[in-house]
Amino acid sequence: MIFGSLAFLIGEAGRNIRRNGLMSLAALGTVTIALTVLGGTLWTTFRMTEFVRSQPEKFNRIDVFLPPKAEREKAQDLLEKLSKTPEVKAATLVTREEAWRMMEQNQPVLTQAVEENPLMDKLEVEMKEASKVSQFAQLLRDKAEYPDIDRVTDAGEEVRNLLNISRLIRIIGGGLAIGLFIATLFIIHNTIRLTVFARRKEIIIMQMVGATPGFIRLPLLLEGLFHGMMGGVIAGVLILYAGKLVSQFVTSVHSPLIGEVPTLLSPSAVFNIIVVTGAFLGILGSHLAIRRFLRQL
Amino acid sequence: MIELRGVGVTYSNAWRALSNVQLKIDKGEFVFVVGSTGAGKSTLLKLLSREEVSTDGTITVNGQDLKHLPLRDLPAYRRKIGIVFQDFGLLPNKTVYENVAFALQVTGATRQTIRRQVPHVLDLVAMSHRPDAFPNQLSGGEQQRVAIARALANEPFLLLADEPTGNLDPETSLGIIQLLNHINVRGTTVIVATHDHAVVDFLQRRVIAFEQGGLVRDELAGSYRATETQTETQEERA
Repeated sequence: MIFGSLAFLIGEAGRNIRRNGLMSLAALGTVTIALTVLGGTLWTTFRMTEFVRSQPEKFNRIDVFLPPKAEREKAQDLLEKLSKTPEVKAATLVTREEAWRMMEQNQPVLTQAVEENPLMDKLEVEMKEASKVSQFAQLLRDKAEYPDIDRVTDAGEEVRNLLNISRLIRIIGGGLAIGLFIATLFIIHNTIRLTVFARRKEIIIMQMVGATPGFIRLPLLLEGLFHGMMGGVIAGVLILYAGKLVSQFVTSVHSPLIGEVPTLLSPSAVFNIIVVTGAFLGILGSHLAIRRFLRQL
Repeated sequence: MIELRGVGVTYSNAWRALSNVQLKIDKGEFVFVVGSTGAGKSTLLKLLSREEVSTDGTITVNGQDLKHLPLRDLPAYRRKIGIVFQDFGLLPNKTVYENVAFALQVTGATRQTIRRQVPHVLDLVAMSHRPDAFPNQLSGGEQQRVAIARALANEPFLLLADEPTGNLDPETSLGIIQLLNHINVRGTTVIVATHDHAVVDFLQRRVIAFEQGGLVRDELAGSYRATETQTETQEERA
């Protein structure tokens, strides 16, 4: 009997969706738009955070220049010293001859115009932590400690800015997520309340023929679940498609800053999260709408 | 079976819909409730269907105190009574068969029971020839017959009808009232609230009349208008 009733209630929800086609369509459209905005904003925030977080890794290098025509021995000594420093991941010597050869290949016009190699020996120092770059570069600039170093360049300021942006995005994104979640819940709740209100006569009749509150509630909850899930599916497809278009655009830019940023969320995970969120919001919105409506009767 | 003792209903705006009503209705009776608009007819029926709760007095139906009926027991109580509305109250998106079956489905009845009972009650109200029609494809009289079939689906001991002929022409109204009479003859207690002189005078059954929330007349075989020789107050009956 329980399975019979359950099958009836599921069938009832299906019939209601089909027979109240226009209202269902309106509810589905509203839920889809709300979920697209919520999902799109959250995913964008997440990807921006991932992107910004990955940027300092590209700035964890310090270039150490030795004076022009410095003795190679000094460069080797410095290389050895820096390699043994705990904060340093790796250090490489790029001699002025190697640098000249690369320049000849990359910018032949420029090298032809210059008679003598003006370049300096350079040590490329890769740091273990991007956040230490600025501090370590400052240390290398101390002439008393490192008298053989002519000039030190690092991306300390850029690193600091990016880390600040990353923090800001997390805060704004978190706030937006909470705000949009509540707004979406409110929209879905109101939409389902409208569908419930449109069927108030039906609900009163159900009550008068002896339907239990659970019996009245379940088909409406299932309708909410359907609208939430379907809205989630459509919103998921829209968001992933928009993501693909953005990704194609970013790739076409060929900026050295914007490479392939690895993500923790695969497209299928993003899709599943949106559908599950839609289902959850659909059920919760229905529950709140029905509870309020049944209380008013 | 039904007993009201000192029943009063006062709404939040201080409107007194019913005042000190004493009434007893036995099993198997057919009762017309008459009175002008706002006299208290519908309020009485709403109290019996437990849509409203009295502010004073007690109402017992089949030994159940309606004022203190727990909400969780309300669906079970409603399944034992049948309710017929003036506007028929059919679900517009369901067919005739589905509307009647619905009253059984909410009780968790088996498919076999539904398949047996729905044709039976549709036959009883002479609507078995249009099971697949939707309400908007039926005349007013046919819709009311379907509503009565739905009310009978769970074999109620009490049938409450609030202005069942209010939206029907005189001829159709007589047909509906004859149907209700037939149901009463089969053993169901029937209470009909109505403005319709013709149907009350046609059947000549018990009539109780309300005025400004008070029960002013109770005749065993009455007509819509009071006749001095037939007037018998509730106190005299008691």
